Amino acid sequence: MTTVRLPIGPQHPLLKEPLSLQIDVAGEQISEATVRIGYVHRGIEELTRCRSYVQNVHLIERICGICSHIHSTTYCQAVEALLGIEIPPRAAALRVLLCELERIHSHLLWIGVLGEAIGFTTIFMYAWRDRELVLDIMERLSGGRVSHAANIIGGVRVDLGAEEIALIEQTLDTLETRLSLYRDLMVHDRPFRLRTQGIGRLSLETVQALGIVGPTARATGVDVDMRRDAPYAGYGGLSFRVIVGSEGDVWSRADVRQQEIAQSLSLCRQAIRALPEGDLAVRAPARVPEGEVVTRTEAPRGELIYYVRSDGSDRPARLKIRTPTLPALMSLAGLLRGVQAADLPVVIAGFDLCIACADR
Amino acid sequence: MLVLWQMLVFPGALFLISGSLLIAWLDRKIIAKLQGRVGPPWYQPLADMLKLLSKEDIMTVDTDALMATLLPLLAVASTLAAGMYIPVGNRAVMSFEGDLIIVVFLLAIPTLGYFLAGWASGGVYGVLGGNRSLLQYFSYEVPLLIGLSAPALYSGSWQILALMDAQRAYRWHLFSLPVGFFVALIGLIGKLKRVPFDIPHAKTEIGAGPLTDYSGRKLALWKLTIMLQTLVGLNLLVAVYMGGADRMWGAWGYLIYGIKIMTLLAGLAAVQALYARLRIDQMAQLGWRALVPLGLAQMLIALWISGG
Repeated sequence: MTTVRLPIGPQHPLLKEPLSLQIDVAGEQISEATVRIGYVHRGIEELTRCRSYVQNVHLIERICGICSHIHSTTYCQAVEALLGIEIPPRAAALRVLLCELERIHSHLLWIGVLGEAIGFTTIFMYAWRDRELVLDIMERLSGGRVSHAANIIGGVRVDLGAEEIALIEQTLDTLETRLSLYRDLMVHDRPFRLRTQGIGRLSLETVQALGIVGPTARATGVDVDMRRDAPYAGYGGLSFRVIVGSEGDVWSRADVRQQEIAQSLSLCRQAIRALPEGDLAVRAPARVPEGEVVTRTEAPRGELIYYVRSDGSDRPARLKIRTPTLPALMSLAGLLRGVQAADLPVVIAGFDLCIACADR
Repeated sequence: MLVLWQMLVFPGALFLISGSLLIAWLDRKIIAKLQGRVGPPWYQPLADMLKLLSKEDIMTVDTDALMATLLPLLAVASTLAAGMYIPVGNRAVMSFEGDLIIVVFLLAIPTLGYFLAGWASGGVYGVLGGNRSLLQYFSYEVPLLIGLSAPALYSGSWQILALMDAQRAYRWHLFSLPVGFFVALIGLIGKLKRVPFDIPHAKTEIGAGPLTDYSGRKLALWKLTIMLQTLVGLNLLVAVYMGGADRMWGAWGYLIYGIKIMTLLAGLAAVQALYARLRIDQMAQLGWRALVPLGLAQMLIALWISGG
């Protein structure tokens, strides 16, 4: 059988972000796959060295258009650790609230993208409609739908009044009812299960060898979550369940995310109900003492690691980011080998890749 | 003169084309409503068509120019020709014993043309999409044909007008041969390449499939073919299974005929909104393991009832 080389990307209807895949297809089966990345490399790590710590908060936020808040949270945490300052409890709780809201809309976005990949456009429309509700809250709180500029070094910039709390409570209730749709989809919808079960299955060995993190790892049975394992911001006092799947296929990942949305809704409620009074931020000096620090947080896609080294000036000497997408990308070529061409979108979309994060 | 009027205006080309544009709009509108969207205004399919017709016609260097030009014309022509044999209201342009087979044949030509169009475009997506459409053709065409022959065997005629006559006074084949209707309907969804059988043009896999490298007039004609196929296919099912137009109602018969078509269309739209795309192997399994045996069983029952 003749082999056809199928280019997927850098521009392709499947991909929301530029990524290039060269797929060799024999008949309907993929015999070889090569992945190329770097199409949205913006040199952000280098750019941070030319800007002051304060300016960098806004640069860092622009790494990703989905999980912008977790990036700035992690960065601020790293700098705060170097400065040796503690953020006020109210700021910590607000960071949790925004992180969880972000997780909800990121997971909904992904469920929509997966739906579109398998030709289920209704799920795409519904999931993105529900995601808008979260973006509305974000806009109300900070003025920005995806770039919130909510974090500053030493605390946060946004605050909740009684009106905002009522709005959030109401939206969370709406989302709670909408969530049953996705639960039904995972459990009962036969076409959905036919297209996602047993597809793109990652073994525990691969996950551990490549260091795959986040919902993808949890769907394989790895019980890891930075929110519980290394609590940051205000997560210490909150109760939630780490969702762990067992199958490791795309369906399992979807199911883990769907359940995680429910946990995030509960975390949001806890955060706003027990919102401590007090300041939003403490003053942080512009110059950061010499030293280096590693901070870890749980981004919607998994563990996010920031390394910051300071030489005592007002600019970082080195900033290194390790995003959860990169290890997942490394497993992609291997996973694609041997699958049906028709399952290609499911395998690729099944990873919730964030190319902008990975390329920076 | 009358024949010319019938062929070109009603119930021929002009009626079929404007009807298919209307059907395309309703289809999009219903799906949009089901998905919680607003949907396009009524003139959107026409506007799309005019825009495509006025756009520059680009061909890649690998395209076989002759094939690429002829195939869409052939596809539109054969679909229109199929439309001539199917009665709208209670009149068909042409009708003779055995025209059901002719219609099925004429409706198969665009599918083969679609495959060849992908092949002629020379692009990777086109070739893959073309292969898939041919594979799909083998999965749905047999169930469709079986589904359409059950009423013919039941009523003892292969003429569409005669089949309509046999269903007078609400003795619809839909009631006597429900399984056959079901098989034919699924076969039709396969023919129209709609969800869950939109495999040949699965956009997240192979872009627009065979039509990826087409633009301008050629693409417009292909889009028109697909819209025409929808109308002609629904027309055929209504005529064969749902009694066609009810003559006893006079001019109201046309309205009722329209309602029947809308009902089927709403069904197709609901399927589109409710299902995910199947894989080609899952589709072949559905076709050969479920639809063909069901259709054959229905055929045997039809033969047994009619005492043939």
